[in-house]
Amino acid sequence: MIENVKISERQIVNDGCGLVQHFCVPFLVAAQNQDGGWGFETKSESRVEPTCWAIRSLLNSGTSVSEQCLSSAYNYLLRAQLKDGSWPAMPQADTGSWVTSLACSVLSVEKKYENNVCAGLNWLCNDYPRDSRLWRRILGRSRVTVSSHDDSFRGWGWTPSTASWVEPTSFAMQALYDSRESWRPRDTSNRLELAAGLLYDRMCPSGGWNCGNPMVYGIAGEPLVLSTCWALLALRNYSPHQRKTLSLEWLANTFPTITSTASLAIARITLEAYGNALPKTRHRLFEMFDARAFLRTVLTVSWTSLALSPKRTWFPKVESSL
Amino acid sequence: MNRRSRQLIPSFQRPISRVVIRNAADYQKGLGEIILESLKEFRLPVQAKTVLLKPNLVGLDPLNVMNTHPSVIAATREAFFKLGASEVFIGDGPAMDRDTEAILESVNLRSFVGSLAGIFHDLNLDDVARVSLPTRASRLKELYLPKTVLGVDFLVSIAKLKTHHWAGVTLSLKNMFGIVPGGCYGWPKNALHWAGIDNSILDINAAAPPDFAIIDGIVGMEGNGPIQGTPKPAGVLIFGDDPVAVDATGCRVMGLKPEKVRYLARAGTLLGNLETAKIHEVGEKVNSVRRPFSVLPSFSELVAG
Repeated sequence: MIENVKISERQIVNDGCGLVQHFCVPFLVAAQNQDGGWGFETKSESRVEPTCWAIRSLLNSGTSVSEQCLSSAYNYLLRAQLKDGSWPAMPQADTGSWVTSLACSVLSVEKKYENNVCAGLNWLCNDYPRDSRLWRRILGRSRVTVSSHDDSFRGWGWTPSTASWVEPTSFAMQALYDSRESWRPRDTSNRLELAAGLLYDRMCPSGGWNCGNPMVYGIAGEPLVLSTCWALLALRNYSPHQRKTLSLEWLANTFPTITSTASLAIARITLEAYGNALPKTRHRLFEMFDARAFLRTVLTVSWTSLALSPKRTWFPKVESSL
Repeated sequence: MNRRSRQLIPSFQRPISRVVIRNAADYQKGLGEIILESLKEFRLPVQAKTVLLKPNLVGLDPLNVMNTHPSVIAATREAFFKLGASEVFIGDGPAMDRDTEAILESVNLRSFVGSLAGIFHDLNLDDVARVSLPTRASRLKELYLPKTVLGVDFLVSIAKLKTHHWAGVTLSLKNMFGIVPGGCYGWPKNALHWAGIDNSILDINAAAPPDFAIIDGIVGMEGNGPIQGTPKPAGVLIFGDDPVAVDATGCRVMGLKPEKVRYLARAGTLLGNLETAKIHEVGEKVNSVRRPFSVLPSFSELVAG
């Protein structure tokens, strides 16, 4: 029973590895539904997004997890795939969404899922946000300017045929990088370049990203931690860029004041992936995690586990070059 | 599912709506009493019922100017318990930032409500059910909505008195955008924008109509709202069981014409009363609490002469 897993014991709380081994992994294993998937919260319906993060977290935990647990989780994802190759964000839906990127990333670890991943990536690369279509761009230029986007760039939206946003663009880029080169659709490199251009274009003036509105009616938007992290992780393998440096500085400066478990976990992974030393923070991740039991969702637990796992292969810690 | 879509009543058949307007100078003195006494005016059927309070939590807001103030949320919760509700939950699905925990911490809700365990529901991550849209105002034929919202007996929209850079104003009807789950539609809920903001507001409010509406206008926001505007102290709280009438009154308090706000004009034909003649004001009168709010130039036609 999840409720019986106690993490307040100091020997566990004071040790990140212990938290992963003694709390996060047992929590995730116990929260798995009969159908092999995970819901956002314990006892909630299985969805693709939390299932992807739970799988990724368990694979990176450095703790042995039963074959049955993982195979039923993969099978849930395979059953959830729609005929057009995409994955829906909610059960019963017949339209694909941004979670297709997460599913492709997670399934890319196994050669046997090649067909599923290829179908998913094809769907992604055939989805063009409506705001970047030629007639929309012409229409947009005839209106009063609300935002200062360069609409020649093109990323991905949360749902098909809408607009490009920072997070789904970052996840789609990551899905393409996570897959083997031979699995990617043709012309992927052009799409990736446009997406990277979009991320740099949508960066807030002070560094960092929000959902994708750096300026509205001439006023600078405030960056957000999670959006900034996903964008920086997507740009991880790109050559150095002044905007990337500015955003990393923003994240490092903001890190000590982060007040949420999820943001602190992903910020930690991001800074470590870039070889940055972690700035001192008021709240330590495992203490915050302990105090906010009511928000212990599958995502929060998965991200915390990933952040604290010393054996992480997903964006592993890079030793500082300094 | 306990809640059902409220029947759409043609405007000429609707009875007159009552709206309570109260002065409230700040977020401290006598707030609980003002809210309880105002709710009592409506004899609400909440005895032994479950209630969900849907505040407007849009972003990180340590100064509490863009979100519904936590003291209003806490005092409303307390008042519904005093009226006999069996459970009073709080739930929202912030639209621009998926880190709901960070938003809750920034507004310091815990220090007003106490532990949020079992009380706060992140509607972005809730289990969902497919709901047909009776109004079909937008291009959406159906929406996935949180089971928490659909399952409670009594739904309360607690909005903030704000202008909005796309919709003109954001009050109790626009606040219901927050029940649409980001886990299905993303952050922001962009599918609604593409379906048309004004018509989506109508569809959402017809599919999951709030049973009661409260507007926190003690400190509102003018100009480039709902996030980047300027704080505007208005010292007022507005209550009512017809959200359209409450929003129309909110507009008039801001010195704006509700019939010029596109979604409100349509809501006046479909969902509730908009005209002054069909709204009975209890407590303060609009004229005595009016505080003109500035709007972006693109909404200058909303300003009452």
